[in-house]
Amino acid sequence: MERPAAAWPSDEIAGLYEQHQRAIFYLALRFLGDPQRAEDATHDVFLKAFRKLDQFRGESSARTWLYRIAINHCQNLQQSWHQRHVMPNSDDAIWEQAAKTDSPLRVLETKELGQRIQQTLDRLSEEYRLLLLLVADEELSYEQIGVLVGQSTDAVRGKLHRARKTFAALFNQTA
Amino acid sequence: MKQRSKLTQEQTQNVEQDARQESRQEAGQEFGTADELLRFDAVQTTVPPHIAERLKESIANAAPPPRRSWWHRLLGQ
Repeated sequence: MERPAAAWPSDEIAGLYEQHQRAIFYLALRFLGDPQRAEDATHDVFLKAFRKLDQFRGESSARTWLYRIAINHCQNLQQSWHQRHVMPNSDDAIWEQAAKTDSPLRVLETKELGQRIQQTLDRLSEEYRLLLLLVADEELSYEQIGVLVGQSTDAVRGKLHRARKTFAALFNQTA
Repeated sequence: MKQRSKLTQEQTQNVEQDARQESRQEAGQEFGTADELLRFDAVQTTVPPHIAERLKESIANAAPPPRRSWWHRLLGQ
């Protein structure tokens, strides 16, 4: 017999979790590249949010506030991971090739799509990876993305253009 | 009569060939940008339900969030 689900101890965090769980989990999953680490990170992000609820003054949207916590958390996790496993940054070399092509992203088998996406994101720098994951969230404007990554809107637009091209070139190599 | 039936057969073969080609195109998908692809991927991604249960437990066991002092609340800080 299944145990009934426990009630939320806080209505406020319950509401935040219900509304933003997918966005935060997806960011953690594709940024960290590991489902278990993503689960732990999602849990930790919302727990931090609970502890900081009194500091959230509504100056930004709840989504950007949670993303701020999630980005800091995931980057800290990656920093300690990178100290043990150095990842090559090949954005510039790949961009040279990517700039010459304009191929669409073709998917024949959706069941392996997640794997191909992760392989592609893993080959990008953290900066490009983060920008692409944030722009994929239609609730975020370029201005909000700029605030989250600490760059101007114009810089975000320019880097996103390169990130998209680089992603496409790498993704089509995984087929 | 014979000629008319031959034309009909050719037309039928063309229609069948077009249908096969269309079905091959439908089997794959194309995305114009990485944004579209990632959005599609995000929609397919399920959040494991046990994260919520784990979080509820952690919050229940956590110390309550610190209350702001009365003068912070008065000044709206």
